[in-house]
Amino acid sequence: MKKAENLSTRQQPIRVLGGLPMLIIGIILVAVLVVLVFVGSSNTRRILTNVFLYCTMACMWNLLSGFTGMTSLGQQTFVGVAGYSMAVMVTTYGMSYIVGWIVGGAIGAVLALVLSLILFRMRGMYFAIATWVIAEALKTWFTSWGFVGKGGGMTVAGRPDRTMVCLLALILCVVAIVLIYFLLNSKIGLGLTAMRDDADAASSVGVNIFRSKLICFVIAGLFCALAGGLYYRYNGTILPGSGFDIEWTVSLVFIVIIGGIGTMAGPIVGTVVYIALDEFLAKYSGWSNIILGLIAILVILFLPDGILGTLQKKLHFEILSQRRFSKE
Amino acid sequence: METILSFEHVNAGYGRVQILNDLTFEVKKGEVYGVIGPNGCGKTTMFNALIGLIIPTQGTITFDGHNVTKVSANTRCRMGIGRTYQVPRPFEGMSVFENVLVAAVHGAGHNEKDGARVALDALKLTELYDKREIRAGELTLLDRKRMEIARALGTEPKLLLLDEVAAGLTEAEVQDVMKMVANLKAAGYSIIWIEHVIQTMVESTDTLMCMAEGHNLIVGNPVEVMNSKLVEDVYLGVEEDE
Repeated sequence: MKKAENLSTRQQPIRVLGGLPMLIIGIILVAVLVVLVFVGSSNTRRILTNVFLYCTMACMWNLLSGFTGMTSLGQQTFVGVAGYSMAVMVTTYGMSYIVGWIVGGAIGAVLALVLSLILFRMRGMYFAIATWVIAEALKTWFTSWGFVGKGGGMTVAGRPDRTMVCLLALILCVVAIVLIYFLLNSKIGLGLTAMRDDADAASSVGVNIFRSKLICFVIAGLFCALAGGLYYRYNGTILPGSGFDIEWTVSLVFIVIIGGIGTMAGPIVGTVVYIALDEFLAKYSGWSNIILGLIAILVILFLPDGILGTLQKKLHFEILSQRRFSKE
Repeated sequence: METILSFEHVNAGYGRVQILNDLTFEVKKGEVYGVIGPNGCGKTTMFNALIGLIIPTQGTITFDGHNVTKVSANTRCRMGIGRTYQVPRPFEGMSVFENVLVAAVHGAGHNEKDGARVALDALKLTELYDKREIRAGELTLLDRKRMEIARALGTEPKLLLLDEVAAGLTEAEVQDVMKMVANLKAAGYSIIWIEHVIQTMVESTDTLMCMAEGHNLIVGNPVEVMNSKLVEDVYLGVEEDE
């Protein structure tokens, strides 16, 4: 593990946990998860699939809000569109779900590209509300669109190979985390953090704001779409009310805030906590959202940097950090 | 001397509010060009138009032989315009080194290895080298102003824009800033410096422009400009004839 010397007299040196040791830990963890996917019970596979898919989407929401300053309330747009694309390809056109899944992802990425032309004219709250409005508009449209079964939704034909879907979800999650890590440690990533802190000042030192935002928004759209496609293949039925539900993004916000916004591993910790709570609170269905809301408020009040963010600050370490040190 | 920047009959503002009004001036290569004027006369707006944060509704801005009137801010930065802000705007979550590295990588187009060298040079020039790993949000006002200059230098600018870097500083700190500007001039930078501290302008600039109501009221030798009746009237007000 690399120990970066910090010359500040007020700050302790930050220990960056990365490189080979983290790679080995990561490989062991993935290997254990692969074994669990194959030998676990169907309930274990269901929980793991949810962990992998929510983790993928939360990492992407964190990339948008925590590293780029684009707080989207409309990631459900990509979940819904990809879920329906996959359902149409499989049920209406008789394709395999893999083809439907890839087509759904591609449509998500193209949709993100098109929406960016409108959305990037807005910032802050206006951007957030506009993303939500687009999702709501799509929900209304799909509710009255006969081709996709109107409000009755669609059932994805055939029985899903849930082991394979769970494995694909794990691969998607790993690719998402690795991609974000390399993105943040690239030239673009250096500009993203600057942009999050002050977009105008970043622009005046040469950061191409539009291009950086576009790259992140399209990547987030693609991965949320791919996660959505797998989710609806696993569960088999998609309705406009569920596919385009704001609750998707609310869950992502919860995960990222309790895990630690703007940290690489925060969404992973947040996802595990969220899914564990969700499973535990399933028997108190009327209360679950209230309890989740209360937990979010308590975390914001007492751990404003989230669980991992607070731990990192207190103990002076960072997991998979994108920090640059002068090396002199 | 060759001209590095010219404003020709520029009108610009925010929405429907026009601030710059037929502004015309030019800056020579290698000179320190001072800009003074009462609050609200359009000095910072001129910088915003110059770096591309606002686009003029009329007129032409030419930088280093290129018409940049409608060029984006990040492109202008890469062409060689580096700016500091009146109220420092550090990237607070990043270290001082990272703040300048962003400028060297994105503004000057270096890879991270070469950018680090440029950033460290800029930090040495602005006496921030020993504080390079501190989070920028924890810096004092003087150090924030130094970092603004270091960040602008990180972009390897041909023209450096200083927006009230001496404001709010003690006399001794102002002397430090003046020494730093003299070093930058000696290093070959062309500089436009907006400032309210008049003595600083008289001592440190080669040419001085006084702005009023968004246009160029008077321009010339700093001492002559400061002694002009026009500048006195702008700052002290003109008695109306009865």
